[in-house]
Amino acid sequence: MGGRERAGLLFTAPWLLTFAAFGLFPVLFSLGLSVSRFNPTHPDAARWVGLANYRELLTDGTFWQSVGNTLFFAVGTIPFTTAIALAMALLVHARPPASGFFRTALFVPTVVSLVVVSLVFRYIYAPTGMLNAILSRVGVEGRAWLQEPDLALPAIMAMDVWAAVGYYMILMLAGLKAIPREVYDSAEVDGAGWWTRLVHITIPCLRPILLFVIVINTIRSLQVFVEIVVMTQGGPLNRTLTVVYYLYETAFYKLRMGYGSAVAYALFAVLFLVTLVQLRLLRFGRAVGD
Amino acid sequence: MTGAARGFSSAWMLAALLLTGCARQPDERTGVVFWHFWPKPVIQPILDQFEADHPDLRVESQQLTWQSGFEKIVLAFASGRVPDLCELGSTWVARFASEGVLTALDVPPDSLRQSVLLSEPGVYRDRVYALPWLVGTRALFFNRALFRRAGLDSGRPPETWRELLDAARRIDALGPEIHGFGTNAGERHVLYKKFMPFAWGNGGRILDDGGTRAVFDSDENLEALEFFLALAKASLIEKQAVLDQVFKEGRIGMLLSGSWNLKSIPEDAPSLEFGVALVPRPDKPSGEHVSFGGAEMLVIPAASDQPDAALELARFLAEPDQAWRIADEVRSVWPAARRAEERLSGLGPEAAVFVAQMQTARTPPADPRWVEIEAAIDTHLERALYGRAAPAAALGDAQRDIERILGS
Amino acid sequence: MKRTLVLLALVFFVLTTLVPLVWMVSMSVRGEAVLIRGLGDLIPSEPTLEHYRAVWGESAFARFFFNSALVAGLVVGGNLVFASMVAYGCARLRMRGSRVLMATVLGMLMIPKQVTMVPLYVLMSWLHLIDTYGALTLPFMVDALNVFLVYQFLQTVPPDLEDAARIDGAGEAVVFFRIVMPLIKPVLAVVGINTFLVNWNSFLYPFILTASEEMRTVPVGLALYAQGQYSIDWGSLMAGSVLSVVPVLVVFFLFQRQIVSGLTAGAIRG
Repeated sequence: MGGRERAGLLFTAPWLLTFAAFGLFPVLFSLGLSVSRFNPTHPDAARWVGLANYRELLTDGTFWQSVGNTLFFAVGTIPFTTAIALAMALLVHARPPASGFFRTALFVPTVVSLVVVSLVFRYIYAPTGMLNAILSRVGVEGRAWLQEPDLALPAIMAMDVWAAVGYYMILMLAGLKAIPREVYDSAEVDGAGWWTRLVHITIPCLRPILLFVIVINTIRSLQVFVEIVVMTQGGPLNRTLTVVYYLYETAFYKLRMGYGSAVAYALFAVLFLVTLVQLRLLRFGRAVGD
Repeated sequence: MTGAARGFSSAWMLAALLLTGCARQPDERTGVVFWHFWPKPVIQPILDQFEADHPDLRVESQQLTWQSGFEKIVLAFASGRVPDLCELGSTWVARFASEGVLTALDVPPDSLRQSVLLSEPGVYRDRVYALPWLVGTRALFFNRALFRRAGLDSGRPPETWRELLDAARRIDALGPEIHGFGTNAGERHVLYKKFMPFAWGNGGRILDDGGTRAVFDSDENLEALEFFLALAKASLIEKQAVLDQVFKEGRIGMLLSGSWNLKSIPEDAPSLEFGVALVPRPDKPSGEHVSFGGAEMLVIPAASDQPDAALELARFLAEPDQAWRIADEVRSVWPAARRAEERLSGLGPEAAVFVAQMQTARTPPADPRWVEIEAAIDTHLERALYGRAAPAAALGDAQRDIERILGS
Repeated sequence: MKRTLVLLALVFFVLTTLVPLVWMVSMSVRGEAVLIRGLGDLIPSEPTLEHYRAVWGESAFARFFFNSALVAGLVVGGNLVFASMVAYGCARLRMRGSRVLMATVLGMLMIPKQVTMVPLYVLMSWLHLIDTYGALTLPFMVDALNVFLVYQFLQTVPPDLEDAARIDGAGEAVVFFRIVMPLIKPVLAVVGINTFLVNWNSFLYPFILTASEEMRTVPVGLALYAQGQYSIDWGSLMAGSVLSVVPVLVVFFLFQRQIVSGLTAGAIRG
């Protein structure tokens, strides 16, 4: 082992230990759980069952419903979060007066705990809540946002976009600042309009940031959980049941931790594939300096 | 090792040492670890009193959240790091008892039933595994002002299903913002508590007397469900918190709810004229005013090494004087000891109705698979409520699910 | 004209952003418990600070705040140093299997916490770390995402300065702390914000891994204080949340230029 490599090992040793203990061990353990029958109140009775849990997943209608809901959630929030964050960043970047205030104000939702945000929105969405009150002022009829099976998940999605945009806006703002003025100036000289500039200059220059935002957003939204626990608990009619919520109910309330782990690893497999595809499609490989 | 490396490792070790916490002072008393769901100002005086009465014991109290506390209990059992005494909802005791992870208490079931309410959920295979601590039930809240507006006698709340349906329809017709009744949906663990009283009152059951066969798709349950759905047409369908809130705003005629409202209505809506009545019974002579009863129970995990001290603490907590300290604060429950009922009656006519209702309150079957059965019932009831399934089909689907659960 | 449009659009966004937040603050200074119905109810008639006093005084909030701040500080600091160390080790010091490690690290982000909760708790219990600052910090000292970020960033930084330093005889530690760390400041800004935000509001693990009141962080303490079985103490919950959010915002407002320019410098390299 060369000196460089020895130093490399030393540098990573403390973390490797922590990683092995607190990162790897729980993952391997739960992987083992996914091929067992494990009742957490009775851990001694755990039994190996091979792939039985995974086979059961294939025919579990509720699981597939949760998959559908989760995909709907992801596909329905990521484009909006990205687009709105970009729009906000572009607006702030245009240097209006008091841009510092605007930046901070738009960032606030991200800083508030998601549990608190979910509780607040549970009341804003109530039939007698603020949203219906505002709508009635403009003559639109109020709805039972969290109670109607078709509206509950979109309502939660809207809240999620509201809460997440500020953070991504800051990242995009940083990206925008990095684009040199000269690029825009020469485009203007060539007679390029606002939209052309956006599509052909801004977005390509922001590609690394956009990629980061989309990948992270995907990983987080496919694991949506807290909002569901606080606001709807999977209902009504399981229309807001997401994969992680299903796994949590199965593991802790049906006391089937083995099966719950299998659900988790099924989700993991999907996420891994999706992320790989995203990285490939958005050509991240190039930046990895091969 | 290079100087830098040595520096790293010692820094790391120092950090590790610091982070493992300071050592605690040695204490001569025996520690009893107690997990519960109540806030410190409410529970601490009780525990201080216990320690004063038992100088050789010290209570380590830990508060759990209502939302995530149950996960923590499950984790405790999974890791073997269990408390000595734990508060557990009555619907869970049978499950834990059947796994063999609870200590059987040296109390005969019959004598327990004579001294406390709702002891049945804590009994498994003829042995007592849980001590009832705090109990509660649901009754019919009605808005007297809305009754008058609808031309009904505000001093005569509905007693039978027909009267209830009639009152609900009349009140519902008063205006677009007014609802006759409040029906629960969209939450876990609630819907069956509002439906089963009607089913039970009509003679319907979930399991047969032996507790081995599902009898959920009976004619009695079908009648109850059809009635329940008719009632829902004149209702606001929402979560419990919203229903309570809208009732306080004076826009719901009647509602099945719990005694926590006896505290919160005077606080939040002092001008609301309301009354409480027994859950209406079916019109037929055999119909009964039945309601749902639930209890917070105290269990001793089998892995605890202080079972005797834990039992001492449990008995102390269940004494009416001690349990009243919590009940007075929250009003959603009252002590399980039968002696405590006199005091509850004395708190006012509304409270007295709750006491009367408790006489005919039923608990769900004390079956280890209850939580899954409950989920199946809730799922199919909700489908019927939202019009996705006809009542008979919904009951049939629930029956099949319950049979499957019992069989596996 | 264009400037007015920009301003109008921004004001629109800010209004939609602020309404729920104004709701929160309003609930925190409201005397009566009646929930707000319409926009007209947003401004309370008689604002009061009783909820703030109650939360601060009765619920040992000061202690929760101290714990949250300490834990967040340790975890952010730990990530800044250790995540960078690992990323550096993988990127520069040609460790064997570093690509596999990176893939594993990224994969860990995709496994839901709910499923690793049990083994982690068992491990903590076995190490006697339950209810200590160790439980609140050690598992989070090096976050997978941060390692990944620094690793990616390092790919775009040429190693010339480091090689030059080594030729001059500097040891690895000196190279890392004196040369590399200043070079990666931009990505460290992202690491810092990310880690802080996630950690400050984290509820599940701090709840699971602690037992006593002294060890509670703000989210846990607030939940135990304000959320009852059938009701929520809105005044206290909102007051506590505002107290929890304001310091973070003040810091952000004061340092936003630095944060954004730090992010900017690193932005183009992603």
